[in-house]
Amino acid sequence: MSWWRRAFPLDLAEEGHFSRREFARFLAVVSAGFTAGIGYLWLRKKPLETAPEPTGTHELAVALGRASDLQPGQSRLFTFRDAQDRCILLRTPTGELKAYRQTCTHLGCAVRFRGERLECPCHEGFFEVDRGFPVQGPPTRPLSGIALETRADGSLWAVGELPKPTNVPTRAAACPRDTRMEVRS
Amino acid sequence: MNQPRPRQGHFSDVALGVTLLILAVQLYLFETVLQSVLDGQRALLPGAFSASLVLTVVALFLAFKAPRLDDGPES
Repeated sequence: MSWWRRAFPLDLAEEGHFSRREFARFLAVVSAGFTAGIGYLWLRKKPLETAPEPTGTHELAVALGRASDLQPGQSRLFTFRDAQDRCILLRTPTGELKAYRQTCTHLGCAVRFRGERLECPCHEGFFEVDRGFPVQGPPTRPLSGIALETRADGSLWAVGELPKPTNVPTRAAACPRDTRMEVRS
Repeated sequence: MNQPRPRQGHFSDVALGVTLLILAVQLYLFETVLQSVLDGQRALLPGAFSASLVLTVVALFLAFKAPRLDDGPES
């Protein structure tokens, strides 16, 4: 008899009894929980935080200032769908304006524009700036892109959400660092 | 005086294995569905829910309705 059994001489009939059937019932209930979760996702009308809107459009355009304000390599934050929907507007080193939702597709940290890539500082995930594809680190899905529109007066507007790209290239092909190395060689 | 331990309801190895397999499939299915929904693809939700429901029904049947092997004449 172990020391703790002598110290606590309680003898419960059900103590230590956990049958296979009880374990199987627990597993079945957990399985039902997964089914309920999928049913919830099916019935939920509002998209999840990082998911695109079902229609792919946004009712109201958001003004982002003048397109000429951003120089290559610079970025600016803005909100799009609501106050919690934080996005980042940037001008790539090649001069193109791009905007992405700031939520990392790994675990939801805020990405930032660093050098030639978008960086998630939480787990060192990196995205290329042209299409938002992940090129390094834990993320496997691209960032949500925001559609931009430059109007005749030079003002820049966020007018909707870009469709998610389906053909994610291999990381070696998408990584700009590898491209630079190829150019040098 | 020690009371006799309650007799365990025997649950066969095959039934337990099937239940564990169902849970593993459910976990993989849920992870896949969640990733697809995050990618904006909701078309697979009805089919995934149906498959998950069938698996859950099988698991519940095994856990609650499958015959206890020790409920025979000797018990």
